[in-house]
Amino acid sequence: MSTTLKLIVRRLLFLILVIWSASTITFFVPRFSSRNAIRERFAELARTGGFSPDDLDKIIAAMQAQFGLDKPLLQQYGDYLWSVVHLDFGYSLNKYPATVLDLISQALPWTIGLLIVTTILSFIIGNLLGAIAAWPKAPQWMRFVATPFVLLTGVPPVLMGVLLLFFIGFRLKLLPLGGAYSIGVIPNWSWGFALDMGVHQILPGLALILGSVGGWVLSMRGMGVTIQGEDYVNFAEHKGLSGFRIFRDYYLRNALLPQVTGFALALGTVVTSAIVVEGIFGLPGVGTVLQNAIKSNDFPVIYGIVLFITIVIATLMVLLEFVYPLLDPRIRKQ
Amino acid sequence: MVDFKVAAVALALAAAFVPGAAYAQANTAGSAASEIVPATPLPSVPRDQTLILGWSITSPVGVTNPWALPGYTHQEGNNLMFEPLMYYGIYADKYIPWLATSMEYTSKDYTSLEIKLNPAAKWNDGTPVTSKDVVYTFEGQKKNDKLPYHAAFDQYVDTVTAKDDETVEVKFKIPAPRFKFEVLTLKFDTGIPIVNAAWESKQKDVNAAAGGTEIPHSGPYDLVAWNANQKIYNLREDWWAIKAGLQQDPAVKRVVIVNLGGQVGQNMDTVAQRIVNNEMDSSLDMRAQVIGNILAQNPKVQSWTGNDSPYGYLDWWPNSLWVNTQLAPYSDPNVRKAMSLAINRDQINDVLYDGAKIATIYPFPLYPGLQKFIDSPAVKAEEAKYNPGEFNLDKSAQLMTAAGFTKNGDGMWAKDGKTINATIQAFEGIHSDIAPVLVEMLRNGGFDASVNFGTDALQNMIDGVPGFYLSGHGASLKDPYAALELFHGRYSSAIGTSAGNNRYSRYKNPEYDALLDEMAPLGADDPKFQADAAKALGIYWRDTIDIPIIQWLHRIPYNTTYWTNWPSAKNLAMGTNGAFWAHTGMLVITSLKPTQSP
Repeated sequence: MSTTLKLIVRRLLFLILVIWSASTITFFVPRFSSRNAIRERFAELARTGGFSPDDLDKIIAAMQAQFGLDKPLLQQYGDYLWSVVHLDFGYSLNKYPATVLDLISQALPWTIGLLIVTTILSFIIGNLLGAIAAWPKAPQWMRFVATPFVLLTGVPPVLMGVLLLFFIGFRLKLLPLGGAYSIGVIPNWSWGFALDMGVHQILPGLALILGSVGGWVLSMRGMGVTIQGEDYVNFAEHKGLSGFRIFRDYYLRNALLPQVTGFALALGTVVTSAIVVEGIFGLPGVGTVLQNAIKSNDFPVIYGIVLFITIVIATLMVLLEFVYPLLDPRIRKQ
Repeated sequence: MVDFKVAAVALALAAAFVPGAAYAQANTAGSAASEIVPATPLPSVPRDQTLILGWSITSPVGVTNPWALPGYTHQEGNNLMFEPLMYYGIYADKYIPWLATSMEYTSKDYTSLEIKLNPAAKWNDGTPVTSKDVVYTFEGQKKNDKLPYHAAFDQYVDTVTAKDDETVEVKFKIPAPRFKFEVLTLKFDTGIPIVNAAWESKQKDVNAAAGGTEIPHSGPYDLVAWNANQKIYNLREDWWAIKAGLQQDPAVKRVVIVNLGGQVGQNMDTVAQRIVNNEMDSSLDMRAQVIGNILAQNPKVQSWTGNDSPYGYLDWWPNSLWVNTQLAPYSDPNVRKAMSLAINRDQINDVLYDGAKIATIYPFPLYPGLQKFIDSPAVKAEEAKYNPGEFNLDKSAQLMTAAGFTKNGDGMWAKDGKTINATIQAFEGIHSDIAPVLVEMLRNGGFDASVNFGTDALQNMIDGVPGFYLSGHGASLKDPYAALELFHGRYSSAIGTSAGNNRYSRYKNPEYDALLDEMAPLGADDPKFQADAAKALGIYWRDTIDIPIIQWLHRIPYNTTYWTNWPSAKNLAMGTNGAFWAHTGMLVITSLKPTQSP
């Protein structure tokens, strides 16, 4: 078997192991709680007045049997692993008859659309500013552009979001206060809708970007300072290459290498950021769905989302291992 | 190099397969609920014909079938689609006939009821609402143990018969004087709508059938779009109630319910900002401080009481501090009384309600029927005897000392080295103002109080953990029976089992049960009923079954920039409450008038 094939097989086996471990932990953790998602849904409806059953216990018992929750735990675990293989988590306990995949597929575009884009933008802006900040030949004024972002690094997205909402949305009325697009508009494939949606993503996007750019700036600046003293950079300068070419091909490319790993990890934290930002801006993304599922102990939905995140991150990590050699010839040779 | 390219492509394909498989599953799994997208672009409706409401939509997209559980709720616009036999105008204290022109008990002992349907009532597909639909609805509730009123139908209903297309006769197994009001009439959030027999009977599993836009309904609005951000309803001009003369042609041609995200009660600060900015016409109710700010910042926003405190109307959910009366030391009525004596209701009124009298001593809201009851001499006598609203820390201390408690170094009552757990389980979205005030009062009285706003609060109430549960009663509206029945011994769950909803007290008292059993078959006007009810309320106070704290207010903001004729203290209209999410919300919405019309 060729070396490459052995590498692929090893990585895939590792991926399966990671997914299995995450699935198992995710299965058992919510079960330690005594909370009952079905009971809580009915009780929430009853509390807010939307449902007033006399025989709640009987209804709950009937629904528990329907969802297989009355089976022994190990049997449920076996059924669960089988559902993981098929990526079919069945029905949400709290939002029956919606399926877990219904909820995820409806929410996913909002998370991907906003958070992936803002993560990529933060990465690009932060690394560029960080590289410029450390580059000795950069104009003085450009080196201070990054400073405000660094100062904002400690500001959590929730606070940033609330401040942006209050000053820009509420006081100045410059941007919408919430929602994914204008009220009453039906999503469609038109430039008008795209613009409307874009306008609604500005504040949530800023809330995420402003607080995260600084981190990339600092780490990239640190890498930049290290690389400046490298022999190959000195050699390129002595060869008389243009400043821009040295910056792009010798300085930035090498400094970016460790940042790529950080970027993959940042994508993995997209959902945790989503929980916060989506809540403030009323965006119906995966973070909101997960938050609601945790609050109601709707474990099929928790399983589905956590597994989805696990698969995405694990796959990204594996893919990274093959992207790295494309970036760094030294690893390729190894 | 070639190997790596091949490897990268192979893995990329593998990674793409994973979500692809998931989406394939989504497409073939035959999921019940899905996004609703109009087949053709919706016609434009001007803002002054559109009503925009804010709500945290928690039910799954596409669920419109009243029998789909637990996904269905009427609160998120489905009340605009489904109608009952009758509504009830609580402030007018009268029935509002709707799909039925009359519902009358035909026997003096309340064992038979005749329903006459409105011959003009139609489903949106043009077919008439007939006795077949009513019989199907009732028998469905009787047979399907997953439906919310199954227990009531099972307990009371013997037979349901269609005498003709417009007449239904219900025979009860036992006297059911309150069945017509409690079950068959829609008011606030209780009662049953009538469902379409033809559609429901075709479903393989009525509890799993979502409904979407295909489910026949008799209400004035059609669901035309629904996704995670909003629900959109359009008025259908052929609504039967207009021709029948029950309602004028609604001015609201489109209703948009904006999903505020999160759970009901969350993100209200942002909602408040959106109301002030005229992005929304109304929303879920607000806390006192928030609505005060809204009114101050936008003069076009009004509340039920205009610009004056307490800003809200009386809701049907008065809150008490409940305890598990089977658990020591809460099982001692003297300890419960001592706790009640630590609560200063006048101070609650001053601190939270600018002096308005909102604190209460009753487990039911003081609507006209119930106000009449508490004004009766019998109830006044019980009140004088037990003085349930008394605030007296000295008396409280005497009771605790007699119960064997002493104050420790922190000033907290303790026995055998342990203080009394006075943690209040509560809901942050709605109790963030009152709970901290109660904590301070209890601590002043020597009870080791704190508040738990965690997501486990509800489960703790159900499990009956030590401490208090701040929650409402959600029972009586017209007469006191439903609220008093919450404490009947048959609902007293044993320690270690789950308490039923609104039955957290687990109280058991044969003397009390006997009174309730005597009341059950009697009408509310019966003198024996009135006398027994007064005695039962006396026992409620005597034993301090729970500690009533506040009437519940719905402080709903109504933005009059585009819509007027909202219900208020000065504009009772049909006598319903002003919540657009209640069953009677349809009557509120269809009565609105555009502000800017000539």
